[in-house]
Amino acid sequence: MKLLDSIFDTAFRFLPHRSKTGLFPIGDPDRSSPVIVTGNYTLTVRRVSKALQGEDVWLLVTDSRGINVWCAAGGGHLTHHDVIAAVRTSQVADRVDHQELILPQLSATGVERNRVEEATGWHATWGPVHATDLPAFLRRGRHAVREERAVRFPMSDRLQMAVMWTAPMVPILWLILWAISGPLPAVVGAVAITAIVLGLFAGMPWLPLRTHRGLLVYGGLALAGFAFGAALFTAAGALTTRNLIVLAAACVVGTGIVSVDVAGSTPLLSSSVNPSDFRVELLVDRCTGAAQCVLVCPRDVLVMNGHVHKVEIVRPANCILCGACIVQCPEDALRFRFDDGRVVEPATIRRTRLNLLGKRTIDVT
Amino acid sequence: MSTYAFMRWLESTPSRYDRGMHLLSRGRMSRVYDRVAELAAGPGLRVLDVGCGTGGVTLACAARGAEAVGLDRDAGMLEVAAAKPAPADGSVEWVELGAAEIEDRFDPETFDSVVSCLAFSEMSPQERAYVLGIVHDRLRPGGRLVIADEVEPTGAGARLLYRLLRIPMTVATWLLTQKTTHPVHGLTDAVRQAGFANIDEERPWPAFVILSARRPS
Repeated sequence: MKLLDSIFDTAFRFLPHRSKTGLFPIGDPDRSSPVIVTGNYTLTVRRVSKALQGEDVWLLVTDSRGINVWCAAGGGHLTHHDVIAAVRTSQVADRVDHQELILPQLSATGVERNRVEEATGWHATWGPVHATDLPAFLRRGRHAVREERAVRFPMSDRLQMAVMWTAPMVPILWLILWAISGPLPAVVGAVAITAIVLGLFAGMPWLPLRTHRGLLVYGGLALAGFAFGAALFTAAGALTTRNLIVLAAACVVGTGIVSVDVAGSTPLLSSSVNPSDFRVELLVDRCTGAAQCVLVCPRDVLVMNGHVHKVEIVRPANCILCGACIVQCPEDALRFRFDDGRVVEPATIRRTRLNLLGKRTIDVT
Repeated sequence: MSTYAFMRWLESTPSRYDRGMHLLSRGRMSRVYDRVAELAAGPGLRVLDVGCGTGGVTLACAARGAEAVGLDRDAGMLEVAAAKPAPADGSVEWVELGAAEIEDRFDPETFDSVVSCLAFSEMSPQERAYVLGIVHDRLRPGGRLVIADEVEPTGAGARLLYRLLRIPMTVATWLLTQKTTHPVHGLTDAVRQAGFANIDEERPWPAFVILSARRPS
């Protein structure tokens, strides 16, 4: 049953899947055990629980509307309001003697840490980005090393994203192809599209998707899918002009759909949903070196310069414009600046987060 | 399906919410707002709307002359609410706050009525109990609580039909409003356990309840 759930959740991970909220023991926690916060996306809860096997901890599952932590926080579905509600309504205070929360780092776009602390009296620490790093984080005395503060996108995760794209898309295109040209071209077309998506995600680290050569990459992938499909037709003895035309159309449509916003399904690129003509701006005069931004940046963009006690933006090209640094800065020293000079102040980012970015012009000054 | 179009569509949810709810309830939701206001609001009364969303109930209360406070955790929904014209008689105030944070902002015994529409069904049973306890204390003695929410029908046949329609209705609800509604279970008991009395229930349709209760004087 769990395997079936995992398969379903992985295939349809773009849909919300709610699990129960509340406080759950992992292992045999006692009154001094850590309290780890996560969202109520079933896949997340299952994976965090699995990563913590062998540990004795409390898992505080907050209401992220059945969406994974990062997407929920970026979209305004997981905020400090939800963490505050979880702390107050789960009776966690009756189960432990301390007042220490470990928040998922990727919730930093939506969960204002200081608001959680003010409302609950609990001290909140940013946990690592990846649940698999939690045991090491706990062993170090709740300290994450620099590598654990950055998102990784290993092959296993990339293939899961490929499945997320193909699970809804391929059956629909397969049905359309079947209706147009019968069973064999439909199967070959579906296989070719699947191969294109798998190839795209598998080869992603080496493909220049966000440069002027991006179009060439997608063209090459469509061509490779077409060649693969043609080889399948040859093997089946069905290499006809009509079949090749249908296959070419399928490859172009499949590649086109994925290419619209493949960036949005990777943690390494900023989504094409948002405009790209703005950057994070650091107001050096306001910076007091609190370095909250360094702790929450998932792309290792910022560093703390101990000599001048100021933060510096050292790897701007890595920035995916998630806004976590802006939301968490206690001095409002970070904000978005558009190329034409307009700025979006931290108060607006905190209110709308990445959601409604297209409507941020309301508050852009 | 392109995530681009999908995200753009999700972003526009608050501005489409009212239209979606109107369609899903076949036009009955605005009558629910008015009925809740009729039970809870009046000239000069101070009313708190918990989980006000786009402000339908809050504005209906203000239209009856109440000093209405709409509270929601979702800034996007509140922006839509705040853009609606305020009634001439009463007043409205919009506050971004979670239901479990009411005590941080409002003192005990400062409201004549507390209302809520389709918010309690979004809460876990623990959160529901907690919030009911808090709103009980925010009400003046004799103050009124009115909750409108989705419930399972009482009749066996109607309940079976409701359960059969749940999946298609859930899909339709999500497509139209990007919200998922759930029937709320044990609401009457939870209200009673929070210390409320004089509990009355009416059903504008079989799968929907408007529950009113009073904090004892």
